[in-house]
Amino acid sequence: MAPDREPGLPSVVSLSDEDLMARVAEDDERAFPELVRRFQGRVTNLVSRILNDRECADDLAQEVFVRVFVHRRNYRRGSKFSTWLFTIAANLAKNEIRRRVRKRNWFSLDALQELVNDSAIQLADPTEGRESRMEREQLRDTVGRAIAAVPEKYRLSLVLRDIEGLSYEEIAQVLGIPGGTVRSRINRARGMLKRKLQPLLRREGTS
Amino acid sequence: MNCGRVRSLFGAYWDDEITQAEREWMDAHFASCTACRERYDEYARTLELVGSLPREEASAGFVERVVARAHRAAEAPDRLPSAQPGWVPVAAGAALAVLAFAAVLPWLKPSDRGRIATRAATTVSVPTAALEPASPVPSRRAPAKSGATQISDEIFDHTEDVEFILDPVAPHRARARQAPPAAAVQGERAVITF
Repeated sequence: MAPDREPGLPSVVSLSDEDLMARVAEDDERAFPELVRRFQGRVTNLVSRILNDRECADDLAQEVFVRVFVHRRNYRRGSKFSTWLFTIAANLAKNEIRRRVRKRNWFSLDALQELVNDSAIQLADPTEGRESRMEREQLRDTVGRAIAAVPEKYRLSLVLRDIEGLSYEEIAQVLGIPGGTVRSRINRARGMLKRKLQPLLRREGTS
Repeated sequence: MNCGRVRSLFGAYWDDEITQAEREWMDAHFASCTACRERYDEYARTLELVGSLPREEASAGFVERVVARAHRAAEAPDRLPSAQPGWVPVAAGAALAVLAFAAVLPWLKPSDRGRIATRAATTVSVPTAALEPASPVPSRRAPAKSGATQISDEIFDHTEDVEFILDPVAPHRARARQAPPAAAVQGERAVITF
């Protein structure tokens, strides 16, 4: 890999995401590794939360950056790079979800219900001293599964908003849907998730 | 403000996308409505749970793998993994087969008709009884009482045909010898008409 700083050339580290991508489009060999380095965590986390599959997420995240590189000249200068990147990531994740659904190799809602019913895990509530009874890993696994059980179109909006922290406007651009639709999808997704996690949200006196 | 209105604003309240006046109304409602307060608590705890999930980090050597893979893909972009579902080639093959059959069908039909016509030419309408063993050599002039039936050529007497093939003139000579000599015919010459 080419060193970041070569004699006579400015460093790419200080460039904005958009300028860095412009360098990638101009075949500056130092730019692409830096771009991947900046966004590798966000893209990996995004696809991992959408798919709830860590191993597949790594491969899919790589594919996202490969697409960025192969189509580098399609990037419109002036547009926000992260929006373009997340659009590619969301589309690839969507394709992967649909491929899995076709292969019937997807998460079973029954399995989640079974897990929730059989385990004694409950939401941490420090005031009631329940945290000691909870297996943190198991809780995270359950939440991840619950997110994965939300229908695809709602899940994408939910993950982009509540995990990646994108604004409604940016989600609308990434998914190519109106802002109002983004809001309603996020509301529905949150409602579904709340219902799925209801057993974990039980409080003393209501169970 | 009723409970329905408050609950419809849970999302906006969480995202801090409501006006200060709306926030004050909702806070006042929560103070007086335990049901809404508890519902919002569950809503907020759900989103806290989602937000508290640990961030997945890229694996070691991610950047190097991506760069190598990207350069390979850029050299042969057509080899990028396709998102094409597995049933597409099968469906395309089936469609091609149907099209091929449709293209050949017009050529098959005349052929079938020709074959049928040929069969019709070699069938003779004969009484069903003619085919029974009791009458191995039925009359060729027997009237047809039923539909056309294909019969074997063996039942016909081809003796004369064979003689004709070997010596086309011979049968006529024989007939000429049997028949009374015509005054107009002179010598061994005969006229053969078909």
